[in-house]
Amino acid sequence: MRAEALKGHLDGLLLAALEERPRHGYAVKEALRDTTEGRIDLPTGTIYPALHRLERAGLIAGSWSVVGGRRRRSYELTAAGRTALSRERTGWQEFAIAITAALGTRPWPATS
Amino acid sequence: MAGHELISAQLAVLAARLPAQAVEELADGLQESYEHHLRCHGDSEVAARAAIAQFGDAEMITAAFVRASPWRRMTLALLATGPIMAAVWAAALLSGHAWDWPLPAPAKILYGVALLSAAIMLAFSALTTRNYRRMRRAVTSAAIGLILLDLVMMIAVLTLAPTLTWPMAIAIPASLLRVLAVGRTLPAASAAQLY
Repeated sequence: MRAEALKGHLDGLLLAALEERPRHGYAVKEALRDTTEGRIDLPTGTIYPALHRLERAGLIAGSWSVVGGRRRRSYELTAAGRTALSRERTGWQEFAIAITAALGTRPWPATS
Repeated sequence: MAGHELISAQLAVLAARLPAQAVEELADGLQESYEHHLRCHGDSEVAARAAIAQFGDAEMITAAFVRASPWRRMTLALLATGPIMAAVWAAALLSGHAWDWPLPAPAKILYGVALLSAAIMLAFSALTTRNYRRMRRAVTSAAIGLILLDLVMMIAVLTLAPTLTWPMAIAIPASLLRVLAVGRTLPAASAAQLY
């Protein structure tokens, strides 16, 4: 999937990746890739500044720990982050319904 | 860190461009990625190259940090308001016949040079996407310079102008607003050392 297609949705995707449990940057990227079955596989290095931006906005909170002798920063959703994620979901569902209707998309054919 | 020399070299490049804590965080992710690929491929060279490719090159990572940084927003805000401030102060100085004020020529020249330097540093900061640290230094210097220049100009007007004209009554609060806004943003951005 092209990076431009994700514009405006990256924040929601990152928040969703943190919904289940706290994760560090690389784990967020892996979670995104796994849940989308490899369709969204962002350059890992660009995930970190996006996480920092979300942290400054108060949507996630970061904390340092030591794992395997390395310092690691993990992030978890804040209450404001959960609200923002819920809003993102609603917005996306409305957007998807509208675009699907406008494009006249037919249902996917059965594969079995 | 038990990594690969390619990983260390990549981190050295990033360390020259990004804040120390951001590099520390990236180092953990890069090492994690390297270990993942090492388990998959079994070859350290292949694993290191795969981890670096997956991370993105140093230019891309630095540019992403620069785009998301509060310093970038400060740069753009100062650049956007610069022409307005210049116009407001030009009107104020013209209306007050500033050329008649008892100011030595070297002081005027020094002020002009300092203002030009601040503008150049802001432009440099806006154009720099390959080195976060230089961008941050440039905008910090420019912002501190603009605060001092605003204060000097306000003191000069209040002490040297024979009468307060209405353009001065607009320029002084405008400068005060800029001083307060920059004065609030600078410590907050500096405190967030990750960014």
